[in-house]
Amino acid sequence: MEKLISLSFNRKPPTVMHLDLNSCFATIEQQANPRLRGKPIAVAAYDSPAGCIVAPSVEAKRYGIVVGMRVKDGKMLCPNLTVITPDPWKYRNVHMQFRKLLADYTDRAVPKSIDEFVLDLEGFPAYRKGMVNVACEIKTRIKKEIGEWITVSVGIGPNRFLAKTGAGLNKPDGLDVIDKNNFIDVYSKLRLVGLCGIKTRNAIRLNNMGVYSVLDFYNASVQKLKAAFQSILGYYWHLRLHGWEIDDVEYGRRSYGNSYALPEPLITAEKLAPILQKLCEKTGMRMRKAGYLAKGIHLAIVYRDQNFWHKGITLADFVFDSRDIYKIAFRLLNLSPYRSPVRNLAVSCFHLEKVQNMQLSLLEDQTKKQNLVNAIDKINEKWGNFVITPARMIGMGDVVVDRVAFGGVKELEEIIIN
Amino acid sequence: MLQKVKVPVSVILEYNSKLRRVFPKSVHWDGNDYPVTKVGFHHTFREGKTLIHVFSVDTPSLFFRLRLNTDNLQWTLEEISDGEVD
Repeated sequence: MEKLISLSFNRKPPTVMHLDLNSCFATIEQQANPRLRGKPIAVAAYDSPAGCIVAPSVEAKRYGIVVGMRVKDGKMLCPNLTVITPDPWKYRNVHMQFRKLLADYTDRAVPKSIDEFVLDLEGFPAYRKGMVNVACEIKTRIKKEIGEWITVSVGIGPNRFLAKTGAGLNKPDGLDVIDKNNFIDVYSKLRLVGLCGIKTRNAIRLNNMGVYSVLDFYNASVQKLKAAFQSILGYYWHLRLHGWEIDDVEYGRRSYGNSYALPEPLITAEKLAPILQKLCEKTGMRMRKAGYLAKGIHLAIVYRDQNFWHKGITLADFVFDSRDIYKIAFRLLNLSPYRSPVRNLAVSCFHLEKVQNMQLSLLEDQTKKQNLVNAIDKINEKWGNFVITPARMIGMGDVVVDRVAFGGVKELEEIIIN
Repeated sequence: MLQKVKVPVSVILEYNSKLRRVFPKSVHWDGNDYPVTKVGFHHTFREGKTLIHVFSVDTPSLFFRLRLNTDNLQWTLEEISDGEVD
């Protein structure tokens, strides 16, 4: 541990590149519709006044519009704001084009979300061109091959964390390198809460140990950081800030879930049942497509009065049929002590396993059930989702519409697999 | 103003064998011809097994979102916009 305390900044040349597509959804909408370019626009979950803004354009951000703001608040800041609802396939297509383009430089191009990619060029021929030259080339190719309105901010560093930090220094269309030569200068201009992963609570933890700036954070000993975070996280932060790699970890799939933000305030379990059923159908279908069975079901509810209730249950046997998932989820729904309007409903399946031979049951013909579910999945796959649905879902139309998940690319893996 | 619609539409499509690219050349809608000046974006997705192509195109007066169903080769106009605020 003594050696770790005196760890100096990583002197290896920066080989990691982080690409961040600027104002992703909004920029893609401006790319598709040239009439929206240069104008303040926002992509919102719903275009109604209470709809949540998920991506303001660069122009809208100049009015102070940020992610998470309500449409009505955005329009108060900018009356000329054009609000558009999301078009997930457009964004997924751009993501796939990015993947294809980046694969020309390295096979170590990892998508971190729909609009973020990390490339490690160490040992690849492209590295010989120089990291900055490669970044400039990628920027030019994006404009030529994907869309002239699309811009990316690029960060280059010796590890993923510093590359990401670099990508955030100058937005939009930035290009910054953080390495052994300039890290002190960069750190001195950053705020503690400006670091990715440090928000108010972590900042308070650090403040309590006398760490008030990023430079303090960099100079703090491992013991001090371990004491601040009360965990191994302190050591990880020490490595990150000194340019050593700690985030080069890929996590496997642990659960499948779907959630829905209700546009109208529903209270009773009967009224929530069709939505719950659709969430279970979506979750079940995705899980089966990937070849998994689940031994756990989880339900989470956020109420309009800000109360939150959730419950997970581990089952004795595996489930795969959406109807079974629904039965359990509905039972969980009835266990909630709250009887107030619901804002958000989420179902997920956990304890996933790929099981070839299921335990046979005396009470139920599992093979027959599996064949039926597979047949329904095949029909739905051929003719589009939900051509065959439980009667409870009749009349639901486009409720629980297609969405792009925030902060993850697991759903994109599903698209690539299929 | 942006208007969502779902109406059949006539489209002249051009294929350039050298560039190996397809792009809509003109849209005939509501009794008027709209020459396409720019294809903003072209993307695809599947509805069941059916491959759908979507062309987001601009003309001198309006923006159109055009959808081509590759099963029945039918074009549908899905969105019209003049780029102004509602």
